[in-house]
Order: sequence, then C-alpha cells, then structure tokens
Amino acid sequence: MIKLEPEILQAVEKPARYTGHELNAVHKDWDEVDCHFALAMADTYEVGMSNLGLKILYEVLNNRQDTACERVYAPWTDMEAIMRDRSIPLFSLESFTEIKNFDFLGFTLQYEMIYSNILNMLDLAGIPIWTKDRNDEDTFIVGGGPTVYNTEPIADFFDFFILGEGEEVISEVAKTFVKWKREGKPGGRKGFLKEVAKLEGIYVPSFYNVKYNEKGYFSSIEPKEPEARDKIYKRVIRDLDSVHFVEKPVMPYIGIVHDRIMLELFRGCTRGCRFCQAGTSYRPIRERSREYLRELARKLVDSSGYNEMSLTSLSSADYSCLGELVDDLFADFEGEKVSFSLPSLRIDSFSIDLAHKMQQVRKSGLTFAPEAGTQRLRDVINKGVTEENLMTAVEAAFKQGWKQVKLYFMMGLPTETDEDIVGIARLAEKVARKYKEVKGKWGVTVTISVSCFVPKPHTPFQWFGQLPKDEFERRQRLLKDSITERAVKFHYHDARVSVLEGAISRGDRRISQVIYQAWKDGAKFDGWTDLFKEDVWHEAFRKCGIDMKEYSERTRDFDEPLPWEHTTPGVSKDFLKREWNKAVAEQLTEDCRRGKCSGCGVCPSLKVDIVDWKRKEGEVKANV
Amino acid sequence: MYKYRAQLTKGDEIRYISHLDYAGVMERAIRRAKLPAAYTEGFNPHLKMSFASPLSLGVTSDAEYMDFELTKPLCQPEIFDKLSAALPPGIRLIKLKPVKEPKPCEGKKHKALMAEVEQGIYEVVAPLIGDWDVAVKAVERYNAASEVNYHRVTPKKTRDIEVKQYMIEPVKIGMSGDWVKLTMNISITQTGSIKPAEILELLYNEYGLPVALGRALINRCKLMGQGKDLIDLV
Ligand code: SF4
Repeated sequence: MIKLEPEILQAVEKPARYTGHELNAVHKDWDEVDCHFALAMADTYEVGMSNLGLKILYEVLNNRQDTACERVYAPWTDMEAIMRDRSIPLFSLESFTEIKNFDFLGFTLQYEMIYSNILNMLDLAGIPIWTKDRNDEDTFIVGGGPTVYNTEPIADFFDFFILGEGEEVISEVAKTFVKWKREGKPGGRKGFLKEVAKLEGIYVPSFYNVKYNEKGYFSSIEPKEPEARDKIYKRVIRDLDSVHFVEKPVMPYIGIVHDRIMLELFRGCTRGCRFCQAGTSYRPIRERSREYLRELARKLVDSSGYNEMSLTSLSSADYSCLGELVDDLFADFEGEKVSFSLPSLRIDSFSIDLAHKMQQVRKSGLTFAPEAGTQRLRDVINKGVTEENLMTAVEAAFKQGWKQVKLYFMMGLPTETDEDIVGIARLAEKVARKYKEVKGKWGVTVTISVSCFVPKPHTPFQWFGQLPKDEFERRQRLLKDSITERAVKFHYHDARVSVLEGAISRGDRRISQVIYQAWKDGAKFDGWTDLFKEDVWHEAFRKCGIDMKEYSERTRDFDEPLPWEHTTPGVSKDFLKREWNKAVAEQLTEDCRRGKCSGCGVCPSLKVDIVDWKRKEGEVKANV
Repeated sequence: MYKYRAQLTKGDEIRYISHLDYAGVMERAIRRAKLPAAYTEGFNPHLKMSFASPLSLGVTSDAEYMDFELTKPLCQPEIFDKLSAALPPGIRLIKLKPVKEPKPCEGKKHKALMAEVEQGIYEVVAPLIGDWDVAVKAVERYNAASEVNYHRVTPKKTRDIEVKQYMIEPVKIGMSGDWVKLTMNISITQTGSIKPAEILELLYNEYGLPVALGRALINRCKLMGQGKDLIDLV
C-alpha cells in the first residue's frame, strides 16, 4: 500500500487528486476477488473523473463479485517529479495498491494527444512499455474508447483493445480471465490472449503481421494466430435499457471538469456530417426509454446530491421524446432545485424554446455549430443547416434574452477556399447584426471558435490530405483580418497540435516508435497547450526516419489498403467512398434516423437496428 | 426558517480538500439527506449555510461548525440521523442543535457563526528526531520569549506578525510513542491570528525543535467563543 507523506501532499497542486476516499468509491478486499482491474485515463484526475464511459465500466466491473475495479489517473507534473524522485510507483485511488499488481490496466483512449501520457503512466507503474517485453507476471494493458478505430500507432504498447461499447464485453473479459486463472493460467500470457481474442470486439495486435510496400506504405495486416480474426467489428449494445448505467457515481471532493450528473439519452448520431468520426463510429441511433431515463435520473440525484444534470448525447436535441422527458424531469424534481442543461443545441427554434425553458432566468450563452462559413461548404460536409436556419434560431434566442452566442467552425475542410474562410466572418457578423435588428441596440458577443480539421479514419474524409501547418495559420490570419465587427470575437486552435494529431490519427504501427521517442525526450500532457513541445515531436519523427507529412498531408488512394480497416465500427468502405463523391458534388445525404437508410452497412453487419421511439414501425429497414 | 448548528469533523481522508470544497461537499450531503433545506433567492440558488473559521489545507478537525437552515422544523434526532447517513468518508456529525433565534423584542440577532469564533485549540504531532530534552527546551524558550515575530509570505504580500499576542496559553509538549505532541491554544480575532503550522515552523527554525517537520500532522480539537465550544453557544 502506498502512503504519501504530508510533506509530499503539502507540496503539490490540488493534493486531493491523489488521496481517494470519495463517496461511492468501491473498496473490496484484495484477496477476496480473482480479478483486479485498474481503469485509467491518461489525463488529470479532474478530466478522468468526468468521463462517462469510465464511470459506467467502473460500476459494471464492480458489480461482478469476482472483480475489484479501482481508478488511476495521470499525476500532474509536480507530483510526477516527486514520485520519480522518491521512487513512488503509480498507485490506485481505492486501495492505494501499486498499479503493477493489478491484472489489468485499462486506458480510455479519448484522443491521440494523450498517448505520450499513457507511456508515462506505464513507466511510472514500472510496467514494460512494449508489449513484447512483458512476461507472465505483468499486467495486461487494455485500451478502449473513441480512438480505437485506429489503434495501430499504439498497437505495440497494448496487449489488446476493446472495440466499441464496453458494458458487455468488459465483463466477458473479466469472466474469461477468472476462468483462465482458476484453470492454472494455461499457456501463460499468450494463452490468455488467445482466449480473449475469441470474444467479439477484441483485437490482439501482437497476433498479426504487418507488411509495407516498396514505397513504405502500409500494404497488409494478416493474422498469425488461429484465434485472430481478419476483421474485428465493434461491440454494440442493441437495447440500452437492458444494460447497466451509472447509478452511484464516485463523488469527487474537488471540482472536476463535468461536475454534474450526466444522463445519457441515446447513442449514435446519423445526421451524417462527413468529417465526424463520432458520427460513423457510434451508429446506429439507439435511444433509452423515457421511463428508464426518469428512473435513472432519480437514482442519480439521490446518490450524488448534485443539483445539476446534463442531458448528454452526441446531439441531445434529437432525442425523440425530449420535450416530454424534460416535462417529466421538471415534475419529478419540483422543489429540489435541480437544474438541467443540454450540452449541444440543434440550430432550430425547438432547441431554443427548450433551452429557454431549461435555463429559466440565467442565460449563460448558446452554442451552435454551423461548422463551415458558406452554404456550399456546409453541403460538402453534409451539415444540413442553412443560413436561414441559423438566423431564425438566433433571432429566437435574442428575443428570449440571450446575449452571448458561440459558433463552432472548422478550418481546412476538403474543397475549402478563401471565400469559405471569409464566409465564417460574414456569418458571424450577420448574427451580431441580427441582435441589433431584434433589440434595436448593440450588446451581443458572438464568439467564433475555429478548430483545424483533422481527417479521421472511418469517415468519408479519411483519404483526404490535411493542410500544412503554415496554410492553417495563413487561413487563421485571413479570418482574423476579415472580421470587421467589434461584437465578434475569434478563438482558434493551435495548428501545431492539429497537424500532429493528423499524423498520429492516420498512422500505422511505425508511429509507435515516434511516440516512444517523443515520450523519452519529454513529451507529456500534449493536449495542454503550455506543455506541448512541438520540437520534441518533430525531432522524434526525424530520429525515427519518418516523414510526418507523409501521414498528415498525403492524400491516400481510394484503392490503397489503409492501416485501420481491420478494426471497424461496421461502416463500409463503399459507403464512405459514396459519401466522398457526394461531398465533392455538394450533395446531401439524409439522416437515416427517420429518413431512408443510406446503406452505411452498420445495421446489417452488426445485426442491430435503430431505436427511435417516434419512428413508425417498419418505416425504415436497413437496406444494404 | 429553522436554523441548526452542526459540529462536524474533517478527517484524515479529506485533510487535503480546501474550505470551499468542504462547503460544496456538505451542500451535496444535505441534499442527499433529503432535508427540507432552505435556499438563497436568485438565479443560482444555494443552500443557506455558513461556516466558522476556515481550516488550512492539510489540517484535520474535530471542531468544524456549520449553521444551516431548514424550511420545516424537524426533530433533532431525525436531522441527526439523516445527515449522518449522507456524509461522505472523512466527515462525521458529532453534535447538532437548533439555533434559538432571540425573540424580535430582544432586538438583536444571533451573531454570524464566523464572528463568534475567538479561540482555537490545536494538537500538533511530529516524529521526534533527536533528544527529548532538546525538544522540551525549545518549547520552553519559545514560551518564555516576550515577543516572537513570524514572517508571513503570501502571493499577495509579505508581513511580520507578532505571534505571542495570539497565544492564550503557553504551548504544551508531551510524548506519544516516538512522536512529540504539542498543544496550542490560539486566539482568533477579527483582525488576525496565527496558524498552528506557523508556530510549528518557528519552533523548528528558530528554537531548534528536533522533529521531522515534513511528517507533522495538525488537528483542530476545539473552536470556541466566550470560553465555550461553539456548539454550546446556541
Ligand atoms: S445501416 Fe442504414 S439505418 Fe443503419 S445506421 Fe447505417 S444508414 Fe442508418
């Protein structure tokens, strides 16, 4: 058991990040269970504790009698320095046990910029960084989460990955482990990996051979063990009412990023934005029932004491019974001073009315995501929103008393021209002027937040070459110079980070070496702008003899094998190609939630169906 | 409105949470307890609650005081049990009493909890590294000094504080195992006070108290006004 002396805790920022003992944390007797699972996020306590997926899996695993699940997050740099100095290994927050004593260490893979932190945590734990160096006694390193649809850049660090939704499969993994352990661990480490590889949705990277062609591009990946599948499909929950959701969240003593209840209404979003990886990877739409959500809301308020609840989903306003659900919740929590919020709004007046109802008096600010500055480009990305939609929505908002609007855009989308960039400024200015028109005076702030587009695997834009950093920066300046209205404020993302993300997210296994090198040379917390070390990363690519731009800026051929195609969310390549062609032709694709099936392939290949409570029976059937 | 005063602990488990975080934790505990709590008016309603003197980060306490209000009068045992059951690890409810508001004809209202605090008693323990006699001498010399200055550095300003004016009694020294145990009885005034950690620092730096400073632990044992525990002032 690790015990931190007071002088250590007095010396670090936010010591409660490391002291555990939170309400609802689960403490089990180490010797009473067969399977010890540490769930990790390679980011700070405040970020890790806010992750819904981890909260769910924590309860699912702890609901098993044979398993104890504990938490661990990345120590901040001040704490890390002390830990290294005094040889304190990474420990869990429940029993303060060394992480290397756990059977599993599972990382949620939220975005590529935490990869260096993963290596850092393995190192702090004293676990060999490379899979090949681990022996029978070592912890199994597991990954799951959003970036799992291209795990190749980190494949050599992980024993296996879980693709897709984890509620069911994580329990199957624990069960498989317990059985293997009770049988005397036949076949050792590899023996277990062979067993776990038989489960649907599990990818064991060391069971494959990767080949590259004469140009150095990825050419194939082939199973070398009988248990390894050619293609691994993600796991998907068919009926969300039937699986466990968070009921007793671990309650932090200190403020965390999302310090409120998160009630997940549904999974999936089929609006079909062509840049969006979440849009392709969480298909199809599956809603929880209104009754179940009501029940969960009650349990969560009672077990947490929170007075704020966020109704989360990829596009919460699309929940078919949202109006009714909000009425239910208002009635259920009358007099309990619980406030509700929607994290994302649709650009229409239904959303504004609902936001108005939910926020009652306090009007903090509204956020919309038109994503592109001109109609042409919005059609390219299949963002089915018109300028008129936006104007109607903001008009309604201003009438209701909002004074702050935030607009999200992306820069560097396929086919983008300077006209589209200037279009962002024009659109924001129109919004600002709409306020004057409605209110007869100035007094609005329109903030435009512009990120740099990163093409992602398993999206229609997966072949597209990302812009070079200098070009992003030129467009950022162009946009800045195009804004003439004082009411418009401009924020943009760090292009240096986006191009690195671009290289890693479409990387192959050779990128592992680069990540390792960068970590060795001091890269960590790369997602934190002030800690991001651009030089270290460029130097790491150079040292490994890898051209970063080959990965970020190169436009791939349609018939070129891609290093991520064997780990798939079920969306077919044909569909992605079709969508690319429609993008270039500026044609829209309908949302399959109520409209016709666009033949993405998910429903038939995963044997799953849309669950939308207001869709008429038999209206849509997946047709591929 | 019906006002209550609670005496709570801040245990080892939550030694390192700030005063503000402690308040947030108590707010959620009251909500979990399903007590008919009274809220402030406004867009962002908060529970009507107030605390006595804030504790420094790293200090535990057997004497945290919180006043809070309910919209209905519930009997003491009911509130006590409900609140106790809803507390997280590291917080225990020791005592709970209704605050009797003086009758309007008496003309005055109960003082704010914060303003009632006059005195705090702390126990500091630290491993002895050296001679017990040296430790006793160090404390004796500190107690005998007529004036002791502490140089307080905060991000905003630095200033010298005369410490002895806040010592209600001399520091007492005792032993438990290999640990030195110091008892400090400190006056807390509207214009200032001295922290037990600061006295310890002085004892170590200037009087040569032979202890492992980095392993010292501080506990607030009592918080008093008019010579009584705050819970007995209601
Ligand atoms: S298969 Fe059809 S219905 Fe199912 S998610 Fe894809 S497009 Fe929608």
